[in-house]
Amino acid sequence: MIAADLAIMIPEIILAIFAMAGLLMAVYTTKDGMAPALTFGTAIVLVIVAFYIGVTGEGTRIAFDGMFVDDAFARFAKVTILLSAAAVLVVGQDYMQKNNLLRFEYPMLVVLAVIGMMVMVSAGDLIALYMGLELQSLALYVVAALRRDSVKSTEAGLKYFVLGALSSGLLLYGASLVYGFAGTTGFAGIIDATAGGDVSIGLLLGLVFVTAGLAFKVSAAPFHMWTPDVYEGAPTAITALFATAPKVAAMALFARVVHDAFGNAVGDWQQIVAFLAVFSMFLGSIAAIGQTDIKRLMAYSSIAHMGFALMGLASGTAQGVEAMLIYMAIYVTMNIGAFAFIMTMEKDGRHITTISSLASFSSRQPAKAMALLLLMFSLAGVPPLLGFFGKYAVLWAAIEADMIWLAVAGVIASVIGAYYYLRIVYLMYFGEDREGLDGRMTLAPFVALMAAAIIMLAGIVNLFGIEGLAEAAAQTLVN
Amino acid sequence: MAGGPAGWISVLIPAALFAYFLGFVPAVSDGDVILLATEWVPSLDIRLSVMIDGLSLTFALLITGIGTLVTLYSTKYLGSHPEYPRFVLYLMAFMVGMLGLTLSDNLLALFVFWEVTTISSYLLIGFNSDSAKSRRSALQALLVTGTGGLALLAGMILLGNVAGSFELSVILQQGDMIRAHPLYVPIVILFLAGAFTKSAQFPFHFWLPNAMAAPTPVSAYLHSATMVKAGIYLMARMNPGLGGTDLWFWTLVIAGGFTTVFASVLALRQTDIKQVLAYTTLMALGALTLFIGAGTSDAIKAAMLFLVVHSLYKAALFLMIGVVDHATGTREVGVLRGLARKMPLTFVAAALAAISMAGIPPFIGFIGKEFLYKAGLGLEQGSLWVTGTIFAASALMFVAAGIVALRPFLGKLADTPKPAHEGPMVMVIGPLILAVLGLFFGLFPDTIEAWLVAPGTWAVYGSPDVSVDLYLFREVNAAFILSMVTFATGVVIYVFHRSLRDALGRLFAANPIKFDPGWDRVLDGLKALAGWQTRILQSGVLQRYLFVVFATLAIGIGGTIWTKDALNFRLDLAAELDGLLFKHWAVLVFIIAGALLTAYTRSRMTAIAALGVVGIGVALIFIMFSAPDVAITQLLVETLVVVLVAVAMLKLPHLDPVGTKDRRPWHAVLAVAVGVCVTAVLVAVLQGDIDRRLTDYFEVTSWPEAYGRNIVNVILVDFRALDTFGEIAVVVIAALSAYALLRGTHYKGRKPDTAEDET
Repeated sequence: MIAADLAIMIPEIILAIFAMAGLLMAVYTTKDGMAPALTFGTAIVLVIVAFYIGVTGEGTRIAFDGMFVDDAFARFAKVTILLSAAAVLVVGQDYMQKNNLLRFEYPMLVVLAVIGMMVMVSAGDLIALYMGLELQSLALYVVAALRRDSVKSTEAGLKYFVLGALSSGLLLYGASLVYGFAGTTGFAGIIDATAGGDVSIGLLLGLVFVTAGLAFKVSAAPFHMWTPDVYEGAPTAITALFATAPKVAAMALFARVVHDAFGNAVGDWQQIVAFLAVFSMFLGSIAAIGQTDIKRLMAYSSIAHMGFALMGLASGTAQGVEAMLIYMAIYVTMNIGAFAFIMTMEKDGRHITTISSLASFSSRQPAKAMALLLLMFSLAGVPPLLGFFGKYAVLWAAIEADMIWLAVAGVIASVIGAYYYLRIVYLMYFGEDREGLDGRMTLAPFVALMAAAIIMLAGIVNLFGIEGLAEAAAQTLVN
Repeated sequence: MAGGPAGWISVLIPAALFAYFLGFVPAVSDGDVILLATEWVPSLDIRLSVMIDGLSLTFALLITGIGTLVTLYSTKYLGSHPEYPRFVLYLMAFMVGMLGLTLSDNLLALFVFWEVTTISSYLLIGFNSDSAKSRRSALQALLVTGTGGLALLAGMILLGNVAGSFELSVILQQGDMIRAHPLYVPIVILFLAGAFTKSAQFPFHFWLPNAMAAPTPVSAYLHSATMVKAGIYLMARMNPGLGGTDLWFWTLVIAGGFTTVFASVLALRQTDIKQVLAYTTLMALGALTLFIGAGTSDAIKAAMLFLVVHSLYKAALFLMIGVVDHATGTREVGVLRGLARKMPLTFVAAALAAISMAGIPPFIGFIGKEFLYKAGLGLEQGSLWVTGTIFAASALMFVAAGIVALRPFLGKLADTPKPAHEGPMVMVIGPLILAVLGLFFGLFPDTIEAWLVAPGTWAVYGSPDVSVDLYLFREVNAAFILSMVTFATGVVIYVFHRSLRDALGRLFAANPIKFDPGWDRVLDGLKALAGWQTRILQSGVLQRYLFVVFATLAIGIGGTIWTKDALNFRLDLAAELDGLLFKHWAVLVFIIAGALLTAYTRSRMTAIAALGVVGIGVALIFIMFSAPDVAITQLLVETLVVVLVAVAMLKLPHLDPVGTKDRRPWHAVLAVAVGVCVTAVLVAVLQGDIDRRLTDYFEVTSWPEAYGRNIVNVILVDFRALDTFGEIAVVVIAALSAYALLRGTHYKGRKPDTAEDET
């Protein structure tokens, strides 16, 4: 019995063993001297595990009495998480090394966070959910403050920790309310308790608390306050991590909870999620306009994007989940490309992140500027780039679910949001010529930037077929 | 050829396409509609499908035909520019977008191409990126048309939903059903928002004259012949599906008419010839909107004819002024005189195009005007408004033609920044061909009728039952008389046009009607809002973040309780309070006092100690309700927390008494709100049935199975002993880590590589 359960968790177990072995080995050998090799090794292991999951996974398997679920939805999210984490590790390696931050704990902490994320997306029970969430969060609290000698970085880490602990508290409080009224923490049991759409007030309040906790993790407004500060304060390679894998995990977890556990109370959570979506889209789009630091700008951008992804979720249908998954996959790709560039923004050997330093960048580095232009247009959702199809999918889902006001709000927000992405393009192409960036990109970030830009263009042919996978994933979650 | 390979490739592509599209003319003029399709993103219902009918073929021929001449022209005009290949790339991208837009049968594909034209025009307008003005204009054009484009997308999605398909060929068959649908009004508004911004209809017109900062070939191509007509195309295309209602009629007729008059008056006051042309383009767009809105078969016929006519002469004039600008270095009306002798070919092109524009026979422009009048007079409603508008516009157009093509070329040669000379052949040939075509079609109107105007009219009108018969002159009728009156009026105005211009100039100086400042204000407002957000919400102060989180939570919970009417029960407060003994009251006072002290003290130490008091109060409650084990846990944890936090606080600087004072009232309000909400939650929740399955289970099984009567103990050491074991392990590990920390870390920033060794 146990053996069968464990077999389902093989990917997580492999990673856990890898993380612990890596830590031990590094401690007893050369410590940070091993860090570069360890980082690459970790990336390779993550990719292998992603392939393993993608190739061998089939059907829906349940382990530990429903605590842990391995289905198409979880696999889609896991592969996205693993690949994006691996990409961030490889792309960020040079940055970390240059800034003296490449410690052996870094890749290991990332692996631990990834295990947490994988547990999150596979959680079939509030306890498993919390365990995954905390494993992820604790690892991320530490990496956020990895630059211990910088006041900004430590402040960011502390803020993240305090607010994150608060949100975990809210989530736990909600979970205990749910437990009290459903008599179980298993999602299957909760959905039975609400059969027929009859949701007791205790369960409903539990849902409110759980949603608040989850909203914090996806950095949806008004629980987004930590995002700009942490994005700015954390080392850029780590910001890239924050912007990608954890967002996918939290969003997938969100979908899992509202559909698997509260699938009978769609009308109740739909309103909350729609509110979070609208508020995030507008806040993210408007606030980004005034930013002068590109990392803060990306923070607001991610808040707005989470709003769009939540819009898919708010529609409460399988189509909505599919749209959300497509959106997240595209979002992650765009962000890896954009951050690969941001990481290498340098002037006179120093890392700078001011937006104004991009002025007339196109005249010095036309290829990179063109790639960034594609990414910015795609982030803004300008057709025919890939980002447009993501936005289109969520808008479509909202309209199909008769939430036309939500779709209209989304369109307005994306118009406002387009403004600041275009400002970057504008600066790069038409900005006053000043002394700007002069750094060179090493191979990995350059490849990532170019690949992401090419994907934005090439992907429009058939979205690389991910819509089919996303559709299958969504079908297993919502039925 | 100048411009190298980029140059001739850029000419060959549109020329080849033009020849290709010419091949469709016979079939389409027989009334055929050619449909081709291929899947693109099947799951999102996006198909790449093509529909070639009279309307799209007309546009395709204009796009590729004028495109050929414009690219040829550009090889000389911009061929020596260092960024010329980039220009060609943008121009080709634009052409692809424009062709896709007009040929797509799928609404969403149409939208994608629509945005391609927006972006490529952004890049083309801002091509002279050294000039702040052209950068600003580019951004303005992008934001205005981009915003409209997204409105259009929303409208398309609604329409696709209503019609059940995104294929235009399907949607247009269902006009009656769409018009009767409750979503008809929003759909029309959203579609028109897209079309009006793209085709610069009032009040979205302001970007177009600014966009003339673009290089002249771009102005000729995008801002008169093709892109700005995309909105017209959309309205014409949707006419069978959306047109025919009062909403459609009056919106288009009023907006179009107003744009027409407004633009022709503004055209008069310009001194830059290119700006004169920009405003007359606005006027033409207004007239097209007007006639598509009017919707009778005559009106559509007139619109289709005028569409072609206008593209021919306006592109010619734009290119012509580019030649003049190139040769003399200026475009000012006041400076240019007597160029005819120095630039004879340019003059011929300008004169021919201007005669067509002025609507003088035997040019096609005359026929166009005649048909406009005929259609206007034949309207059942709004006839006076439409005819009056066209009359005013035609008269002023006549004047504009004189200003553009007569004044600069006649009279005595004046000094110009550069000595005037004839333009190179590749530049002059384009305007010449276009202008001569105007004459050719005027003399042989049957050709253009059969090729383009008739099939186009069928497509827009939605049925092939309309006979189109173009003629130069047949009889003296109302339209003809109106034409003559127009000429007379035009001549009079032309004679006085300079004093009129000055008068207009004074009038506008006294009553400035400007849209640009309004535009700037919108952008500034957005920036101010963003700044406010950063200052107030994203201040970096953790306290404020927590404030927002708790406030949201209070609203969320309060809202849920409110909307679900969860407090809808009778709570017998008196009975509940009666049941309280003295010890209960004592503990209550104890806890409240602790909480108040925590909030009011100015010292961190006092605060944490007072908080400890609250915790001990809670422990006492556990004891009273006979749960001593929980009470002991609570006491231990509480003590530990107080001690640890106190140790940490010893290392912190003193509180700033002034800084904390101000916000406390707000925090108190929030604290009370959250407290009330949580209390309400507890009260409400306790009214419901708690699932007692587990409680019952443990009550029944704790003695028989685990031989213990204290259920909590039994659970901890028996039912979940393994978990307890794990917890103990965690506590041990935590203790070890704490010990390591307390021993002290000596991290030296200078030697981070060895930092771990010294830990």
